[in-house]
Amino acid sequence: MSKLDDIRPITLQVSAIGGEGGGVLATWIVAAAQRAGYPVQSTSIPGVAQRTGATVYYIEVFPVSIADLGGKRPVMALYPGVGDIDIMLASEFAEAGRAISNGFVTPDRTHLIASTHRVYAIGERSDMADGRYDVERLHMAARERTKHAYLADLRQVAQGRGVSLNAILFGVLAGVGQLPMAVEDYKGAIEDSGIAIGPNIEGFEIGLNFSFSDEPEKVDHNSKEHDVGYTMPEKLRARVHSEFPEVCQTIFLEAVTRLTGYQDIAYAEGYLDRLSAVLNAENMAGGDGDVTAEAGRQLALRMSYEDVIRVAQLKSAGDRMDRIREEVGAKEGEPIVVVDYLKPGIDELCSVLPAGLGRWLMSLAERQGWRDRSNFGLHLKSTTVTGYLRLRLLAGLRRWRRGTYRYSEEQASIETWLEDVKVALTVDQRLAMETVECARLIKGYGDTHRRGTENYTAIREQVIAPALGGAMAADLATDAVANARAAALSDPEGTRLGDVLAEISKATMGSAAE
Amino acid sequence: MERSFKKEVTTLRLGDGDMFHGEGILGVTKALLQSGVSYVGGYQGAPISHLMDVLSDAEPLLDDLGIHFEVCANEASAAAMLAASVNYPIRGAVTWKSVVGTNVASDGLSNLASAGVKGGALIVVGEDYGEGSSIIQERTHAFAMKSSMCLLDPRPELPTITRMVEEAFNLSEASNMPAMLELRIRACHVYGHFDAKDNVHPLYSRNNKIPEAEFDFSRVCLPPATYSQEKHKIEHRLPAAIKYIAENNLNERFDGDVPEVGIIVQGGVYNTLMRALRQFGLADSYGNCRISTLVMNVTYPIVPDEIAEFCVGKDSVLVVEEGQPEFIEQAINAILRKKDVNTKIIGKDVFPMAGEYTSEVMLKGVHGFLAKHAPSGLNIDTVLEEIDQLFSDRDDAREILGDGLPLRTPSFCTGCPERPIFSALKIMEKELGPAHISADIGCHTFAALPPFNVGNTVMGYGLGLASSAGLAPNFHKRVISIMGDGGFWHNGMSSGVAAAQANGNDAVLLVVKNGYTSATGWQLLPSSLRDRSGNKRDMSIEKVLRGFGVRWLKTVRTYSIASMVKTLRKAMTTAEGGLKVIIADGECQLARQRRIRPEVAKRLKEGKRDVRTRFGVDEDVCTGDHSCIRLSGCPSLTIKPSSDPLRTDPVAHVNNDCVGCGVCGEVSHAAVLCPSFFEARIVRNPNLFDRLLWKTRIGVIALLSPKMPTVAS
Repeated sequence: MSKLDDIRPITLQVSAIGGEGGGVLATWIVAAAQRAGYPVQSTSIPGVAQRTGATVYYIEVFPVSIADLGGKRPVMALYPGVGDIDIMLASEFAEAGRAISNGFVTPDRTHLIASTHRVYAIGERSDMADGRYDVERLHMAARERTKHAYLADLRQVAQGRGVSLNAILFGVLAGVGQLPMAVEDYKGAIEDSGIAIGPNIEGFEIGLNFSFSDEPEKVDHNSKEHDVGYTMPEKLRARVHSEFPEVCQTIFLEAVTRLTGYQDIAYAEGYLDRLSAVLNAENMAGGDGDVTAEAGRQLALRMSYEDVIRVAQLKSAGDRMDRIREEVGAKEGEPIVVVDYLKPGIDELCSVLPAGLGRWLMSLAERQGWRDRSNFGLHLKSTTVTGYLRLRLLAGLRRWRRGTYRYSEEQASIETWLEDVKVALTVDQRLAMETVECARLIKGYGDTHRRGTENYTAIREQVIAPALGGAMAADLATDAVANARAAALSDPEGTRLGDVLAEISKATMGSAAE
Repeated sequence: MERSFKKEVTTLRLGDGDMFHGEGILGVTKALLQSGVSYVGGYQGAPISHLMDVLSDAEPLLDDLGIHFEVCANEASAAAMLAASVNYPIRGAVTWKSVVGTNVASDGLSNLASAGVKGGALIVVGEDYGEGSSIIQERTHAFAMKSSMCLLDPRPELPTITRMVEEAFNLSEASNMPAMLELRIRACHVYGHFDAKDNVHPLYSRNNKIPEAEFDFSRVCLPPATYSQEKHKIEHRLPAAIKYIAENNLNERFDGDVPEVGIIVQGGVYNTLMRALRQFGLADSYGNCRISTLVMNVTYPIVPDEIAEFCVGKDSVLVVEEGQPEFIEQAINAILRKKDVNTKIIGKDVFPMAGEYTSEVMLKGVHGFLAKHAPSGLNIDTVLEEIDQLFSDRDDAREILGDGLPLRTPSFCTGCPERPIFSALKIMEKELGPAHISADIGCHTFAALPPFNVGNTVMGYGLGLASSAGLAPNFHKRVISIMGDGGFWHNGMSSGVAAAQANGNDAVLLVVKNGYTSATGWQLLPSSLRDRSGNKRDMSIEKVLRGFGVRWLKTVRTYSIASMVKTLRKAMTTAEGGLKVIIADGECQLARQRRIRPEVAKRLKEGKRDVRTRFGVDEDVCTGDHSCIRLSGCPSLTIKPSSDPLRTDPVAHVNNDCVGCGVCGEVSHAAVLCPSFFEARIVRNPNLFDRLLWKTRIGVIALLSPKMPTVAS
């Protein structure tokens, strides 16, 4: 046996998401190495993962050209090895995280190239509230567990320049210079493929010349609010500034603008009146405005509940057409037709009827089981004159909103909730905060809204009310409310919530018996 | 199939002196031509689909060589096709995904193997075992053993793979046994190179037909011939195979300088082993290894003398054998015992019994072996610690990342016509309560994953309806069975539909018809509208069902969720007994996009009018409860951070990949979710009328729009 040789293949993995071009990128890399005359091997397990799953392509390039090997053949691996990867190319940030977690990124060897955008997985998307994975963890792992990390939101760059992300990544790979091929070989690979050569070469150049910063980029997602068509009445602005602590102001100013547009100035004033009372209670309990601030955020959402009038208002807002045109990528001079998918039923009808009539019809519908069956589908073309006019007429019902059934229901429910918050403040600040947060459960439309309201009511009656009545210790109650809320948001069928509430009531009875 | 393989076909024409570059499975295809096959067939399935795809695009080449290529109805048909080699000296090859395909084929295979072959018969199986596999996890190995077929498992590099294809035919002819060649997923997809050879014109072919019929009762599977066939296997065929394997060095021995230990490895996992040994500093990148290695490119039958010779004088030998039961390890132990060789055999004591041998499994297995059995002269302790360190470092990294790294399961593609079927099922279940769904194989099986979680059992391809036969009569409500059009033609129409009709079963069958076997790469079906050459076909599922006497038969466009819900409700509640079939009709969106994208681009280039449809969500109307996502799961229906400072939960968002299928809007409509969805139709290359209408509309709408501040302070 001859002496063991030190030279080893350069190993590279492409971690991508099915259907997003990871295969093309791998093909380019192989082609570039092949053009340059190096032994190259690639393999993949696309299989079912091709359908939106995580896909990996594993490539080895041997840094001695076939000509110089003189007939010797390197044995190349088909699997990425733990601690044995030189370059990790991730077309999405969580996939970079997966590679790190698999041990395919290590500080002694691995150059990580990753686009920091997120493509949310189904578990994150289908969460009833916010199930997104914490990207800060990814940043931290990328900083600490790599030899060098090249991180940027390259998808955004790609979209901005009208090129494909994998072409940019290919350029970055060439620029990082860990493989033995020359830039010409990379470009040649794109040219040989014969597909979209121009844009792909452009993307490649962008990647090749991209300058990465060492600081993780901070993205401000709360970009500016679009034009709601109303400006802030000055006296309300003054009132927010003078009456409420700093922590409340941004939220309250936003809320006041919104509620003025939603209904009128008096309505926005009512909002501030309600919060004054909460702030008083909080001050007396020795708090510094945190509960009031959060209550203000939730209250603004609750007071701008989405009835038919509100939906019509939003769907006929002045800037909506421009927003849609931008979102769907309509070019200058291209007409668009917007069709809104509406399906009003008894609930929606009652929401705009006078309170007495609405209540009567609603209880009738409930008894007859009409609520689920009465909806009629409406495909409203809101870019036509008649379609738009209908939206404006509906939005015009705003004038009568205070007399509607839905209004009376919502306001009553809001009052109960705020009353709970105020009482809770006299018991325990954390309990008050939890009570505030429960408003988050009430959202959506139709079934979703009904279910959310039911969940909220269940938690209120079985946990909050007994706690405020002294049937439970404050600490226990705070945890109980938090648990119940988490359970309500964990499955749409409400199974978990039922279990958690049962447990809580058992625990309460237990402690009462002691 | 809409994809073209014309480029790959040209590589099949390479000859002496050329270098072939390509995927493993294409290398196999080329090697078949170099071996002088007369006929090739098979049934598509990852990872061997490409073998079929390329040949179906290679008509002129096949005509030159006189090779017949058959797209078989299923694997049983493919196995039966090898009957050609029983009586006549012609070579043939078939291919399928294993173990499932081998299961389907096993009736034909048993008969073929009993009769024995005169011409070389090769079965190329894609061994779909381990990560990324879409099927039940079993080894093909047992089939080779029980039916007495040779099993080749070559080192996963193209020169060895292609050499073993050629040798498999020789081996088959030398032993009269059919041969199987197994390639794991990564080996099928491995991209590498080898020195090509000229293609060989087969002795008999379409161009030079077999002149006479042969009758030889000893080759008919009927007693008493079957008894002598069974004996013939043992007395003649297996010894002949063992002789050929040994004499032609099909297994490879690489000697190292450490006399005390050795490794016997299946060819297919050799590269992974070498990489691990390199990480331990015991091998280099060229396969030079300090520990002697016996590579079994043929894993059945085993050559006893080869094993004994390798082991004799060694203290311990590691057997690297993927999967279970550990047939090879058991056989080696038995061989050594009989030959009184007292080498200790280490195998599943350090390797896991079940599952794929990934680099990590290999590293840990070799670690386990070396820690206990490495001779002291190897000085391995530091290296062992380094490998331990790798894993504890990884634990640190995992600490940073936490447990919540989002799982990315496969799902329906953007715009998939199958998604709305399951949305409709979910909506129907909300009304009628949970149903028992007998699922089937195909893209539609993904419904069992989030967000749908629909499908209680999967019993095999085309077996959706058959798998309800026992449950349906004993269940409190009608059981719903699912079958794709692929499964329907594969066997479902007889195993499911005909059987249900003949038994008078009260059943509900949902046939998912998307026009292709999409999950395996868009191969065409008998019911596809056109064949590969673009000619119309006239074989419809509807006609078959009518012919079988199905009376309750509705065809529903899958995207019409409301009518799908209605039809499902009717099927579940009607008083009518018997089989009720709903054909859910919608062309595979990936295939459709591939078809229409160039057409649209051409129209736009010519300045012709075109309307593009896209869906969207009004961000300020969406309240962020994501029930639309739970009922759809479309990859283009995602979330984005809310730009509303009052809302913390992300809102639903339709991204640029949207193909305008409308399912999200339909779902929110049918399930009465919310009014957030809108459809936007963008008129490209608008005509004069479009432009005038648009001007008028935006003019009037501007007049009607809410005016800026009228609110007095």
